[in-house]
Amino acid sequence: MTRASLVLFRALLAAYPRRFRRRFAEAMEQSFREGYAHAATAGTAAALVFVVRACIDTGVNAVALRAVRLRDRVLWPDPIGLHQQKRTSDMWWQILVSDARYAFRMFRRNPVFAALAVVALGLGIGANTAIFTLVDSVLLRPLPYAHPDRLVMIWSSNEREHRDRDVVSPLDFMDFKRASAFSSVEAAYSFVIGGTWISKTGAEPITFTAVTSQLFETLGRAPILGRTFTPDDLQTGVLISYDFWQKRLGGDSAVLGRVLNIQYQPRTIVGVMPKDFIFPYRAMLGPSGFSSSLSVDMWFPLAFVDDNAFTRATATAPLSRQVRMLSVIARLADGHTREQASAELQGIARQIRGTHADTNGNIGVSIVPAHEQAVGSVRPALLLLVGGVGLVLLMSCINVANMLLARSTSRQRELAIRSALGAGRNRLIVQTLVESVLLGGLGGLMALAFLRLSVHGIVALAPPELPRLGEISPDMSVLLFAAALSVITGVATGLVPAFASSRGDVNSGLKQAGRSATSGRGQQRVRSALVILEAALAVVLTVSAGLLVRSFVSILSTDPGFQVEHLLTLQLTIPPKYNGTEQRRTMYADLEARLRAIPGVTDVGGTTRLPLGSTNVSTKINIEGRSVPPSQWPEAEFRRSVFDYFSTMGIPLRRGRLFTKQDGPNAPPVCVINETMARQMFAGIDPVGRRIKFGSADGPWVTIVGVIGDIRHSALDAPPQPEVYINYLVNPPSNPFIVLKTNADPASIVPAVRAQLQAVDKDIASNDIRPMTGVLSNSVAERRFILLLAVSFGVLSLLMAAVGVYGVMALVVSERAPEMAIRLALGASPSRVLQQVLQYGLVLAGAGAALGVAVSAVVAPSMRSLLFGVRPVDPFTFIAVPSLVVAVAVAACAGPAWRSMRVDPVRALRME
Amino acid sequence: MHMTRRPDADVASLLPLTPVVFEILLALGGGEQHGYAIMQDVAERTGGRIELHAGSLYRALSRLLEGGFIEELDERPAAAHDDQRRRYYRLTLLGTAVARAEAERLEAQLAVARERRLFRRHT
Repeated sequence: MTRASLVLFRALLAAYPRRFRRRFAEAMEQSFREGYAHAATAGTAAALVFVVRACIDTGVNAVALRAVRLRDRVLWPDPIGLHQQKRTSDMWWQILVSDARYAFRMFRRNPVFAALAVVALGLGIGANTAIFTLVDSVLLRPLPYAHPDRLVMIWSSNEREHRDRDVVSPLDFMDFKRASAFSSVEAAYSFVIGGTWISKTGAEPITFTAVTSQLFETLGRAPILGRTFTPDDLQTGVLISYDFWQKRLGGDSAVLGRVLNIQYQPRTIVGVMPKDFIFPYRAMLGPSGFSSSLSVDMWFPLAFVDDNAFTRATATAPLSRQVRMLSVIARLADGHTREQASAELQGIARQIRGTHADTNGNIGVSIVPAHEQAVGSVRPALLLLVGGVGLVLLMSCINVANMLLARSTSRQRELAIRSALGAGRNRLIVQTLVESVLLGGLGGLMALAFLRLSVHGIVALAPPELPRLGEISPDMSVLLFAAALSVITGVATGLVPAFASSRGDVNSGLKQAGRSATSGRGQQRVRSALVILEAALAVVLTVSAGLLVRSFVSILSTDPGFQVEHLLTLQLTIPPKYNGTEQRRTMYADLEARLRAIPGVTDVGGTTRLPLGSTNVSTKINIEGRSVPPSQWPEAEFRRSVFDYFSTMGIPLRRGRLFTKQDGPNAPPVCVINETMARQMFAGIDPVGRRIKFGSADGPWVTIVGVIGDIRHSALDAPPQPEVYINYLVNPPSNPFIVLKTNADPASIVPAVRAQLQAVDKDIASNDIRPMTGVLSNSVAERRFILLLAVSFGVLSLLMAAVGVYGVMALVVSERAPEMAIRLALGASPSRVLQQVLQYGLVLAGAGAALGVAVSAVVAPSMRSLLFGVRPVDPFTFIAVPSLVVAVAVAACAGPAWRSMRVDPVRALRME
Repeated sequence: MHMTRRPDADVASLLPLTPVVFEILLALGGGEQHGYAIMQDVAERTGGRIELHAGSLYRALSRLLEGGFIEELDERPAAAHDDQRRRYYRLTLLGTAVARAEAERLEAQLAVARERRLFRRHT
């Protein structure tokens, strides 16, 4: 007996009334076991059939029992009543089969209706299944670690700068390891490094990070080849990713022990991680965190070194409390809750604060579940999509329900005859429901047929930064979801028509013989209500989409503070043979001369942190003449300017001067700050000429020589932060971004740029060569993706509303053709008839729009986190969108209205 | 509401029985049975045309118990070899009377059918 079927059966037993359950549940389960054992002797297929039948039977009877007081009106003809009142010897599945056969006959007789209904439901179910796949993969599925619910991230919190998830300093990390609430506490670089692998064919870009040696054990994942790190590996070992192994090393099975030249150092491969292993997720990195790539190619063992011996390129971390550079991940010990762990960590943080007030004066600690950390940021947007796509499905249900209703009107005679021949009301209800569930099922099949395609589409549209993008794929739960949704959709679609049509009066139904059928007052009211509801839903969906569009427009119209056009950007890795600053300066001079000589290049600049495309690193600012303890020093983003960075980028100078070639190592140290820093740290005074120090108390005083305009660095919708720049000549960076101003298409000079880099030194690796417009577009990719989906749902909803209104109005017009004919014959002007029809449509759409506006006003504030530069109840959107919906609805009325005006009195009356 | 009928109640008013109920009574006609055995018995005799599952069977049994057609055994036969979770049922006097009446009703119909050559097999 498979556990699953027993669990399912027990779940169904839970649906029985308690008294019944107490008395029979055990015996029922026993007979189920025995039946299963018997069926299983005939093979797996027979066992499966048995389980399906037994479960449906058990479910159905639970419903029947629950409804026993209403027995005569129950949904089910009762084959085990004591008295034989009707022809009820059929078992329930025989009834279902005959109803299904009947439904298929109806579909064949009316293929257009059936096809339309299946397509409408299929679209709705398909869109929902695709979005569910996305949500399931990103939000619901556990992270690819063992017992991921016991994993948490530990962050330092900086009360002064209001950052609650700041990266952790190595010494703080070591103190956190003492906490007994965790079975292990491990750390990784809070950033990913773009490095260089010298392969046989030359310098190739790679990405890597460094992790403490027990990190893989903490995550509960082992390599598929080789082993994890041992203490002997610190200087020489490396673990590679499955992708790197397959794509860059050709899946070589003898890969263990192979030595790679990485960062110009030999590294021995000790293991290969499994294909589905991902660490870190982007959101697990600190604010200084990511390169443009999504996953790392390899992991280095993280070695802790003396504060002075630290260089990032060799995977070391300084034993310091000042330099915050670690993402810390920990596994809760058995029997400990997150709250206990948090309390214990708070205690440790307080202790550190007491003993190291200079560095940890404002530093607390916070703890976040690993899953929440990885995907929490996209949850609101995905939930918005789930809501939107759900409404779209509701609208397709309404449309199909309306079609079923309309058809049931024209089938009234048939239904009347069936009911006169003895079909009870229940049978008619069941019949209609069977039909609509079949439509839903066919729609579901259609949705599944296109599932792979639609998921591929979503993945292709999705921004590369979407967390867990690579893990998006339909699995068993998606299939179950689609199946359940199909049934629910079918039932939901059929309920209204089922009850509405079964209420038909036999007598009048039969009397209408020979006359065209018209729907009763009640049915018309139901249909009008459905149309109003549909218009309201369309308003809600389109208002949401409209708000997102307005946010997007206001983001794109945000001035980034620099010229985006005609800029080419790239990142370089300078080999360590240039490790002397003088050697680097010489190389930089050569590089600048060669880049300036490229035809089409008008200006050359560079920096250590490219806006909208890279990360952040901040430093404490000690301002001369202010007696503030180090823990109270303000922070600023720290960058270096390379060549003529500000003029190349078009960043304006506000005060003082920019750097010159004279601001070298032998000149007095100078820096340039941005307007936000000038405003926040030098309110009311001229910062030019003032002196500051970076970070620690020792080091030279640096004079501020200029103030430049603010730029948007992290994102277009993130406000500018204080920034300070020093000139590259003081200590030329080894991982600079280069920007080239061109007077032609930036892409056209890429080959020339590569050639010149080769000419400088063939070991210089270049990454991410792309125009600045691409960098900017990439920075809004996630928002654009959500927007695209939301807008397509909005458009779909408008379409559905139009179809719904059209359908109802067409029916109204065709039913009332005789009445119109009489009016026209009696001399009413055609335009008056037209006006009446349009008016009716306008009233329905107007009522729907009003309802939709009310609902939107309630719902919109929950979207606040997704909006930018627009209030949730945005007057423009709230007026424009309902008007659009009403206009679409009235346009949908136009066809039927036009026909109503052209009713031929003679023909219409003759039909009577 | 539980109403236990006595055998002398007007059994005719309870006829005709639904086929499923009659089959269950027939199954118990051979002596006390547990739930699964009833299912098997019915399925075998009807060639699978009436295939009872747990939900249908126990709902029917609960009705029959309520109506006093059958009763549950307090003791189980040959307890040592048996599964404790099984429950055994047998016909009450009323149940026997009703089953008998239904059989007679059917026989009367059969007799007519035979007479009018609508039923060929003779026993």
